[in-house]
Formats: sequence, C-alpha cells, structure tokens
Amino acid sequence: MPLSALENNAKTGPIRATVSLGQKTGSAIKEKNTDCKCAVIKSENFSFYYGSTIGVKDITMEIYPCSVTAIIGPSGCGKSTFLRSINRINDLIPHTRVEGRLLVNGHNVYDKNTNLVNLRQQIGMVFQKPNPFPKSIFDNVAYGPKLQGVKNSSQLHQIVESSLKAAALWGEVKDDLKKSALALSGGQQQRLCIARALATKPNIILMDEPCSALDPIATTKIEDLIDKLQSDYTIVIVTHNMQQAARVSERTAFFCLGELIEYDWTAKMFRNPGKKQTEDYVTGRFG
Amino acid sequence: MRLIIRQIINKTFTILTGTSVVLLTSVLLVVLGPMVWRGAKAVIFQDTLEFRQMQLDLYNRGNPASLKLETAEAERFRKAVYVIVDDFEHGIDTEELIDRTKQIYRQFGKELRYKGITDKEYQRIRSLARELRDRLQTAFESNDKKVIKENINYVLQYRLDKDLADTAASEYFTLAEDFQQSIENIDLNKRQQYAGSLQQIEEIIFRLLGPKPGDPLPALTMDRYGATRWDLAENLLDKLLWSQQWIQQEADQPLVKIRVSRAEEFAGTKLEPLFGYVENNLDKMLKPKFTFYWQYFIDDSTAGHYFGGVGPEIVGTLLLTLLAMLFVFPLGLISAAYLVECASDNIAVRIIRMCINTLAGVPSIVFGLFGLAFFVLFFIPLFGGPSKPCILAASLTLAVLTLPVMIRASEEAIRSVPQTYKEASLGLGASRFRTFIKVTFPAALPGILTGMILSLSRVAGETAPVLFTGAVALGPLPKSLLDPSRTLSYGSYDMAVGDRLAMMVPHNQYGMVVTLVLLILCLNAIAIVLRAKISRKLRGH
Repeated sequence: MPLSALENNAKTGPIRATVSLGQKTGSAIKEKNTDCKCAVIKSENFSFYYGSTIGVKDITMEIYPCSVTAIIGPSGCGKSTFLRSINRINDLIPHTRVEGRLLVNGHNVYDKNTNLVNLRQQIGMVFQKPNPFPKSIFDNVAYGPKLQGVKNSSQLHQIVESSLKAAALWGEVKDDLKKSALALSGGQQQRLCIARALATKPNIILMDEPCSALDPIATTKIEDLIDKLQSDYTIVIVTHNMQQAARVSERTAFFCLGELIEYDWTAKMFRNPGKKQTEDYVTGRFG
Repeated sequence: MRLIIRQIINKTFTILTGTSVVLLTSVLLVVLGPMVWRGAKAVIFQDTLEFRQMQLDLYNRGNPASLKLETAEAERFRKAVYVIVDDFEHGIDTEELIDRTKQIYRQFGKELRYKGITDKEYQRIRSLARELRDRLQTAFESNDKKVIKENINYVLQYRLDKDLADTAASEYFTLAEDFQQSIENIDLNKRQQYAGSLQQIEEIIFRLLGPKPGDPLPALTMDRYGATRWDLAENLLDKLLWSQQWIQQEADQPLVKIRVSRAEEFAGTKLEPLFGYVENNLDKMLKPKFTFYWQYFIDDSTAGHYFGGVGPEIVGTLLLTLLAMLFVFPLGLISAAYLVECASDNIAVRIIRMCINTLAGVPSIVFGLFGLAFFVLFFIPLFGGPSKPCILAASLTLAVLTLPVMIRASEEAIRSVPQTYKEASLGLGASRFRTFIKVTFPAALPGILTGMILSLSRVAGETAPVLFTGAVALGPLPKSLLDPSRTLSYGSYDMAVGDRLAMMVPHNQYGMVVTLVLLILCLNAIAIVLRAKISRKLRGH
C-alpha cells in the first residue's frame, strides 16, 4: 500500500472516536486537536502465536491518534508482542502465526501485499535498551532519511537538526555530530534513538519500555519529550512503571496473560478500575 | 575457618593458572626455540671468502678490488694444501702412475719416429722402452718391496743410456726415483686404502676451498665455490681430520661407528702435515667474517637451494594466500549471511551445516587430490586453460580447504551482532539486504576478520593442497595465474624429501620454516591491527 493511500486514510479515519470514551470519566478530558492527521491503530480479534505458544489472544482495541496510549501489565503478558506486531518487527522470529486483523489507518498490516518498508517508515520505534548504530550521531539520525532517498547534504543536515531538536538533544550534541553515538550517555542514546525514529517523519511512534534502562533524570527528560511529541504523533508506550503510565499517557490498556483486561482513560484506570484484576495490579497486590 | 579455606582455594587457583601459563610458554619456547635458532642462522652467520666471491659473481654485491686482495692473500695459504696433496698423490696413486708410464711411452714413440733412424734401430729402442715401461708398471703395482727394488733398479741402470737420455723416456727415471723415495716409509699393503682415503680428502678439500686454481670452471654453480659458511667449513674440517669407520668389535654384534684420526692413518707419509696445516690455517684460507645476510628474504636461490635466499618463495606464498583470501572472503561471507539471515531451520540447511562442520576436519591431502581432480584436470581446462598445476588452481584448492573455517567464524560473528541493531534498522524501514550491508556487516566485521586471520594462517602454511595443484620446488616467478609458483611450505617439504640438499644446507630448510612463521605473524599482525582499529571505531573511541 503506497504512502499516499495511508495518508488519505488518515484524513478520513475515525479520529473523533475520542468523544465516546471521554464521556465516561469527564474530568480527564483534555482539549484535543481533532484535526490531527496522525494515524489510528485498530486491532480486531488479533491473536499472535509463537509456534504453539500464545503471545496475545483476541485483542480488540482502538488506539487513538495524537495521544499517548500506555500498555501496562505483568511480565510475559504480551504487551511487547502486541506493540511489535504493529510494525511487524516480530516477523524476525521464525514460526509465528497471526489471527484476526491489525489495522493501521484502516489497512491490515498482516495483509499479504503490505509493503513492509512503507509501513515501517510510517511507524517509528524506540526500544527498551538504547540501540544506536555503531556509527556517528549524524549517521544514526540520517540513516532513515537516506533510506528514503534523501541524498542532498544540506537537506540531510536540516532533517538531522530538526529531528535532534525535536528529541531535545540538539543542544547537547550540535558541536559533535561526528562523534560515535556509543560515546553518549544512556539517556542521550535513548533520545538519539527517538530522534532517529522521528527523522523518517512517521506518524506513529512505538515505545517499548523506553526508560527501563535509564536513571530518573534521563527518564524525566524522555517523559517531557513524550509529552511534547504527543500533539503531533500517535504514541504507544509499553511500560512496567505504573507511575510513568499515569504521568505520560492519556489512555491505558492493561494486559494480562495475553489478553486485554481493561482499556480506558488513564485517570480512571488508576483511580477507579473497572475490573478486579486491574485493581490488584495497579495497587500492587499482584504482578 | 571458612574464610581461610576460601582464601587457600583462591590462592591455589591463582597459582595453578599462573603455573600453567608459565608451563605453556616454556613449552612453546622449547619447541620454537631451536627452530628459530637454526633458522636465524640462515640470516646471521659467519660467512667466508667463498661466500663473498659468490655474492659478487651471482648477485653483484661487494667490493671487487678488496675481494681480489683477500683472495690473493688466501691463495698463498691454500697453495700449500694443493702442493702437499699433489706430492703425496704422485707417489701413491698406482693408476695415475701407470697412466703416466703409458703416456711417456707413447710420447717417446712419437719422438723416435721423427728422429730419422733405421727401422731396426727404431724397433730396438722401442722394445727397450716397452721393457722399461712394463718393469715400472710391475713395480708400481707390486706390494712387495723386494720386487719393487729389483724392478726399479733394473730401470735405473739405463739412466745413462744414450738412446734414452734427453728424450721423453728420461722421465721414466724421475718417476722411478720419486716412487722409490715415496714408498720408503709406506706400508705398501695400505696403498689401496690410502687411495680411497685420498679420494675422500680431495673431495672434502674441493668442498672446502672450491675448484683448484687453474682447473676449468665446473658446470654446476654449486661446485664453483667452496664452503660459503664458516659452520659448514668447520663441519668439513671435522670430516677431514676424522674419518668414520664401521667396525665389528665382536662376532654377532652390530657394527659400531668409530672415529679414526686421519693424521694417524697417514702417519709417516707425505700427507701427514696436511691435517695440522689445514686445522691451523683454515681461517686464513677462508677468512670468516660475521654477516647479516638480510637479502636472504629477497634473493632468488641458485643451484637448487644451495645458494641465495627465499625471495620467490615469499612472493609465491603471499600470492597464493592473498588469492585464496580473495575467493574465501566473499564466498564465506555470503554463505554465512545466508545461513544466519535467510535459511530457515529445515533438513536441507541442517545437512549443509553438518557438511560444513565435517569439511573443516577433512585432512588437507584430501583437498589436495580434490584440487588436482577438479580444478587442474577439469575446471580450468573447461574454460580453455592448460591442464597443469598453477597458482589459480592452488589458491582455489586452498580456498575450498579453508572455506568451512571462514563460514563458521563469519556465522558466529554475524549471529553475535545484537538483534536490536537489526530491529532498529528494520524499524526504520530498511530492507533486509540493506540492513545486512549497512548495519549487520560493519558490526560483524571484527569477528569476520578473526575468521579471516584463522583462514589466512592455515592457508599460508598448508603443503598438501598445493602439492599437486600449483607448487614447484624450483622455477621462476609466476607470470600469470596459470603458472605454478614456489611456496615456503612446499620448499621446506621438498628440501626434506628431495635430495641430500637439506643435509648440506640445513640452515636453509630451517630458514624457510622460520620465514614462513614470520610471514604468517606479519599477515596476522596486519589483520589484528585492522580488526582492533575497526572494533575501536565501533566501540566509539
């Protein structure tokens, strides 16, 4: 599916779905930019199997654009599996199988004729451990644009600069773009990875426990960054840290044993969860 | 109490590991030490006048003027040797003496014919000469002093005969007198033995001092120079002074080798002073001098491997190794990339993997025969090439030999690249090929280079695969890929089995092996530095 088709979908996509959820809690509704062109992710009875083991089972949920959605749950509950299914990074693992549909802007990513390259350029991903390439800072950020065919040096510089600025890293590295990315601190490396993801101009950013390997100060910086980015991107963040989910996200999904237990406004999830399992988890009685 | 036990265990562990390291190092030194020591002698040694002469003649090195002076000086001391030997030989060599009498007889006959005498006169004098010749021959051949005396006296009574005086025949008398004199102190029964011994001595002197001045230049380059090295000269001196004999001390006992002093053997003869003279004046005859013959590594060798260095061998080894690497590197890399990145875990891939692991353990001679059957006899002729051993076939064989090593090492290296790198690249929308080229391969490069170092060392040192496919012991540098080449490994093998050359120039064989070790070390050092540089860059310093 070509890029333009995805964008067209985004325009006509079911963006205003937020309203229906908003009525439930009332108090937590923020004023949203309803004209946001970000993509929407929709999962319909989606299941993912590793061989005969179940990764996630029968997930039906809708992730809303231009907002931060957190996925929480105990280890092994399938949060990462679900996240990594969205851009099909899970394909690297042999002997996997899916059922149901997983739609990005209305297009099933597990369709046979999905163009993975286009799909992944639409979806930026930040991993649990900072994983910059063993290249210079500049080359790391320019990797994506170069793939997209940007050859012009000044244009590349511009993209690198704007991406680094968006990731709040520009001030720290602007004099040292030729330095190896591996010489940066952990927090800087993670922001570099975010900048790298932003450089391809995605409209979805998937974050797989982006702060689990960082200290509190770096974590704060990343959280501030997420807060800043959410007006322009659809962000899905998997986290173990419930305070983090409460701080950064608008909505939260709780997964357990491969199933989606509850999905609601973050404020409601943490104050007044609808299910006993969720309550046990967020209060620390289980998990 | 427990703490003490733990400390003791820790200490024991430290001591054990330390000892094993020391032990290993010393074993390595014990193994390598003698080899390096002997190999170093190919480069650093005491040369002789003959060596300098050879270097001037064959390689155009050195100062001709000063060499001429040195040679003249040495010649003075050498002359005495030849005089002594010649002197002794005159009196002892029955065959030569008999030959001489025959010559005299023939010459005398010619002289008579031009004298213008009557036929009858001619016949008379001729028969007299024949008579004298036969008498002399009888004397020379006899071991009985009485018979000799009788015959010599018979000959000498014609000394004043007017027909014989001042002619060629007068030499009969000098011969007779010389002979009489020289046998005075000799036990005639030993004459046969003397003749054999003398032959050995002459051979040794020839090896020591080169051809006699004035003799025609020998056809073989090897024979044109005496001992070029002082250690060789000392060896020869030992052989000159002591002869080895096998004797049976008791019946039914194996033969025992004993050393017999030649001076004693020749005691009382004219040859006796030779041994003392050579022993005392050998350094003056050969003028030894310490030399650092670094050209050993660039010189071509002449006369088999008798003189010169290992230049062509080094070039050939490098050529073969680098060419094999040229085939192995891309092939191994692509195979490894396929096995890691593309192949799914099915039966076929498992069989391929098993084959690779098995191939890594196949003896190299098997690859050598495979190379002969496939590359030399089939593959290269298939493309119109000649069906003969050549460096192309040899390097292809070496490549096949080391491919499993390369594949396994590269596979490990590619596998050990963090999955997160690949995920990041794929997540940015890169294709699998692009991810491999841009991210996985550079990150795996240090590990791949390690595999290459392993392959390199194996390839450079292998003998069996090149035995039938492209190595020669002697010959010019290859002009194209379809020419055979000399290699260090094959060279040292050939010296060991080829002929008695290795015994005559042991330093050369060890020199080749040590050069091979040095060459592999150098190649490895380059690769290691390269690897260190790349991994330092990857680590971000």
